Amino acid sequence: MNSQPLQTATLKVDAETIRAYAELTDDFNPIHLDPAFAAATPMGGVIAHGTMSLCLLWQALFRSFGDRAFDGLDLDIRFVKPVRVGETLCAGGAPSTDAGADGCYDVWVRGDDGSDRVVGRLRPAPTC
Amino acid sequence: MNTVAPRAITFDDFVPGALLGERTELVSDALAGPWQRIFGTRPEDGAAGGAEAASLAVVLMMRAYLAVVAPRPPGNVHARQAFSLQAPPRRGEAVRSVVTCLDKELRRGRRYVELQVQGSGDGGRPLYSARLSLIWAA
Repeated sequence: MNSQPLQTATLKVDAETIRAYAELTDDFNPIHLDPAFAAATPMGGVIAHGTMSLCLLWQALFRSFGDRAFDGLDLDIRFVKPVRVGETLCAGGAPSTDAGADGCYDVWVRGDDGSDRVVGRLRPAPTC
Repeated sequence: MNTVAPRAITFDDFVPGALLGERTELVSDALAGPWQRIFGTRPEDGAAGGAEAASLAVVLMMRAYLAVVAPRPPGNVHARQAFSLQAPPRRGEAVRSVVTCLDKELRRGRRYVELQVQGSGDGGRPLYSARLSLIWAA
């Protein structure tokens, strides 16, 4: 990998997308699918599946490095803010500037307002 | 005949260190097709390439966790995810995913459950190791 920012990948998250991802993963948790149920939870409404954002990060990696991005890696991400129906997500990242993180990338998935929905670090193998 | 729905697995049921179960599933068109309908069908989208394969590793992790740890209370939330990908699964490969409870903890009134899912492919080749941090609803 190199010192350039990752190319970004975007995804429009509507109710159909969430339903399709639920069917792909067999994850029919009503917090993702049932507005009335979700409204009564601490999330206050329907949220998209967290790993949908992870898959979008993979797409950003693929666009940046092709198949070799997946020869081996360690990813650690936190879902810091819910992804709501109707948002367009953008996944990307940049080389980490933290001490001891040479070769690593600080990765993110952001919503329409530009704020983080997912943050974390990617450690490509075997350089980190 | 009356049937009683099985009780949902609650926070109290988890035992750190306990093996919860496993699932073996084939990497097939039945998974790749739906992935492409969401994320794109073009080569530059990673369809039939690395992005799709790495995503299907994540999908298999989730499907294994959800099949093994069931029934669950509604409203669980995914808080954090660590994912080590050793090799992407290949189309047609049978992936064995083993689910273990690593830890559980009450923090600020929330019930956190840590699960590990480890996936291996044909011949036992290691594919992925994942750690899910979930806020359990009950």
